[in-house]
Amino acid sequence: MILFVVPAFIIVVAVQFYPLAYSAFLSVTDWVLTESQTPKGFVGLENFAKELSDETFRRSVRNSVYITGGALALQMTLGICLAYLTMGSSWRMRAIRTLLILPMVIAPVAAGTLWRILLNSRAGLVNHVLSVIGIKGPEWLAHPDWAIVSVILLDTWQWTPFVLLVVGAAIASIPDDLLEVAAIDGASRWQTFLYVELPLLMPLLLLTLVFRMLESLLSLDSIYSLTFGGPGYSTYTLTYYIYTLGLRSFNFGAAAASSWIFMVFASLSIGLVFWYQRRDW
Amino acid sequence: MQLGEGLAKQAMKRQRSVKQRALALAHGFILCIACLVVLIPLAYLVINSVKLPREFLTVPPTILPSAVTFEHYRDLFEDSKTLRHFRNSFTVTLWTTGITIICGTLAAYGLARMRLAAKILAGVTFVFLFIRFYPRVTTVIPYFLVMRELDLLDTVWAIIIGQLGITIPFVTWLMLVVFQDLPREIEEAAVVDGASVPQRFWRVVLPIVMPSVSAAAILTAFLSWNEFLIASSVARRKASVLSIAVAGFVSDKGIQWGPMAAMSVVMILPMIVFALFAQRYLIRGITFGAVKG
Amino acid sequence: MKKAILFLLILTLLLPAGALAQDMPHAGAEVVTNFMQSGTYDVGAEQLEAGFEEATGIELEIVASPFVVLVQNNITDLATGTGEFDVISGDFWIGSVWGQMHPLDDFIERDMWGGSFIEGLTKQGPSAYFDGKRIGIPYSADAYGLIYRTDIFEEAGISADWETWDDFIAVLGELEMHLEGTDIAPNVFAFGASEQAAAIFLGMYDSYLVDADGNYALDHDEAIASLNQLKSLLDYNPEGATGLSIDEANSVFLTGKAATMICWVSFVRAAAQDPDASLVVDNWATATFPGPGFPFLSAWNLFISGYSENPEAAWEWIKYYITEDEAKRRFVELGVGSPFLSTYEDPELIEQYSHDFPAMVANLNRAETVPWIFAAFEVFFRHMSEFIIGAATAEETLEATLTDWAELEVPEGLVQSAMAQGQMQEG
Repeated sequence: MILFVVPAFIIVVAVQFYPLAYSAFLSVTDWVLTESQTPKGFVGLENFAKELSDETFRRSVRNSVYITGGALALQMTLGICLAYLTMGSSWRMRAIRTLLILPMVIAPVAAGTLWRILLNSRAGLVNHVLSVIGIKGPEWLAHPDWAIVSVILLDTWQWTPFVLLVVGAAIASIPDDLLEVAAIDGASRWQTFLYVELPLLMPLLLLTLVFRMLESLLSLDSIYSLTFGGPGYSTYTLTYYIYTLGLRSFNFGAAAASSWIFMVFASLSIGLVFWYQRRDW
Repeated sequence: MQLGEGLAKQAMKRQRSVKQRALALAHGFILCIACLVVLIPLAYLVINSVKLPREFLTVPPTILPSAVTFEHYRDLFEDSKTLRHFRNSFTVTLWTTGITIICGTLAAYGLARMRLAAKILAGVTFVFLFIRFYPRVTTVIPYFLVMRELDLLDTVWAIIIGQLGITIPFVTWLMLVVFQDLPREIEEAAVVDGASVPQRFWRVVLPIVMPSVSAAAILTAFLSWNEFLIASSVARRKASVLSIAVAGFVSDKGIQWGPMAAMSVVMILPMIVFALFAQRYLIRGITFGAVKG
Repeated sequence: MKKAILFLLILTLLLPAGALAQDMPHAGAEVVTNFMQSGTYDVGAEQLEAGFEEATGIELEIVASPFVVLVQNNITDLATGTGEFDVISGDFWIGSVWGQMHPLDDFIERDMWGGSFIEGLTKQGPSAYFDGKRIGIPYSADAYGLIYRTDIFEEAGISADWETWDDFIAVLGELEMHLEGTDIAPNVFAFGASEQAAAIFLGMYDSYLVDADGNYALDHDEAIASLNQLKSLLDYNPEGATGLSIDEANSVFLTGKAATMICWVSFVRAAAQDPDASLVVDNWATATFPGPGFPFLSAWNLFISGYSENPEAAWEWIKYYITEDEAKRRFVELGVGSPFLSTYEDPELIEQYSHDFPAMVANLNRAETVPWIFAAFEVFFRHMSEFIIGAATAEETLEATLTDWAELEVPEGLVQSAMAQGQMQEG
């Protein structure tokens, strides 16, 4: 049995172990590549302390919370609704489902640029459509708050399909007799959903939620091409911040420390899923 | 009296059918809107790719261009690099998906059947997921150095191996849940027949979980095809892929909208065709095994 | 017959091989050169690839990367001593690795190499130097510029002869009165492309960028005054200018909706004269970029990596790529600003670009680069962008910038460049 696990283990751990261990080492080291070619020395937890009190770091965390929070709320709700609305195996429903998952397959870089032109306040399609129905569209990408909304919209557009896909599959696998029993007992459609389906779906929804949350927090390409983190620091997310530190400023120590702070949070989230799944194990 | 009751019932029925019809109408309307929200941006991308440069950023936006030009596409395909990007993207996606599915599925099966203590199993899965979600931005430079030592810089293998670090943990996790849900009785019959472990896996288990494997493969392929960060840090020229090419239209002085739109269309098209083809596997395969009757 | 053909074939294959040994001292060497993937510099190089390989026997490999990836690759490559690239395309953005470049003085002297470079571009700053040695040679030149509508100016009886931003803003005031009631704005600038506004700031700001101790700094009063003056331009811009990207701002000018525009001239030059793309054909000209600061310069240099195994062969490529003829050709065909005076004195081109060239050359001669690494620039333009959208005051902007700058070190090469360009505080 162990032989089955070995290849995956070798690839994942061997190839990723060194970079990870190295980044752990970097997080307690003072090293800015543009200042010196070799690490300047051990600084203990100074990088962590510095990051946690850094104004830009805090602001990026705040932005991340707004963006991911908003995007998750929207895409989970929309995804679940659409999953129910596209239930069934008629060719029409199958076609609609296929169509609805398309945004997911687009490269984030391309999606970001596409929405950048769609959300352009003067020459963009979105404000044009709004003006046709008599609404003066906002400065989507130039106003700090609307820029956050724009990023949320992009994430929702691109990833609601994922929720739809997973939840749709889960609903389809709920045994029909369960629902029939509920119907015979005189439960309304809403009651059936609330008391029969939702509890069954709960572990899966939680899993999807955590998965999407971490993915959304990590997304970089799309924000880069949609808002470039701007205007100013308005859509500077934690990942964007780490990216700037690491690959634009080459401040490896700070980038590694920020990443590990992120991983503490990620670990807690993964732990939550485990705790929920434990009943199965 | 009886007649009256009958009429009342009929009236109720009619009322309900009106309500049902209204509901159906609303249902259709919502789905219509959803489809439009998905389709219009995509259509606009295609329109942009055949627009003349002067019709970008006009106020109001040019929805139907005055003339259709294929110059962006022509430029794209006259450039020998496009073909190379395509070939590399295909190679990377194919290998990443193939290796991920084989290693991930095997590992998940092994883990599920090893009768490990729950804590150890949780530990292993946790390590995998930790690696999956660690911000790649921080590890690309150390990873670059590793690839340099292995003399793999600017090869598709540098990209593939880098992506495997993301995809294998994910697929292992996904399949682990699937295998844990699979009743052991199914295999026990095969054990009685004297089948070895590989035989059991190949003949009995794999056919059952095939839809999930397909779903995992499709999701892996999407990710691999679109991945940018790892590719851009280890690929230069020979191994450059489509996602890097798309980003190349953003320069320090602005964006080349037309060529970028054309390149995006070219990049998205194979994935859309693939998604259309693979859609039914996707829906059948992803359950994460989390729903049980 | 068959044999004869075979013989001929072998002969033709051998002939160049024989020639190699005599006239091609670097034959068989490999040179890897990188460029920004922009459809201009890189394409210009690709067009030369076959000719260069044939002429020198050197195997050339051109690597084109997106702008951000290029900077990232160059710094990683040099700072880690990887040595993937022989010839490196860059400028002050990679100032932190200038110390690892191969000095070019010996090559230049030996080959008595040179050309009619615009004088300002050969100075330290536009041309990269490290420890007094030349390490980079500019192959493109583009200064931040100012273009205006000649027809509108004539109609209003205003002449475009400003020297300072105060003068220019006074002109904008006159234009505003003249244009009242039309939908034409006195000025347009891509305020929405947040990294661009620094160029105007540098034109207004007349003091040091690096303090006497060699740290990133700005003079308080000068900086505050410049920030406020920068923001006052918004009064003369179209509504919602804080959201305009470069392409949009250009399109505002090209569709005749602005009387002046602050921009990279190379980005509009061709389009503005193309009747299909522009409504202002023959009705615009380039003007002096106002002072007392300097026009921000974009001048890509070619460097030879200190880790190159073939610096001689690399130098052959630089000589092949940076020539007056090629620079002119790249200007005409690809719109790349030329670093050579000969391009701007070419009789044919002068006729075609009489509205553009004189001021352009004057601006290029005054143009300077900045001693900022990416991290320093990032901090500055983001805080400035917060200021422009009204989320911070000038004082807050300056303070936040200085706080963040305190964490950064100015690389040695950029301190030297700042000193040479008079951007250093006198101690």
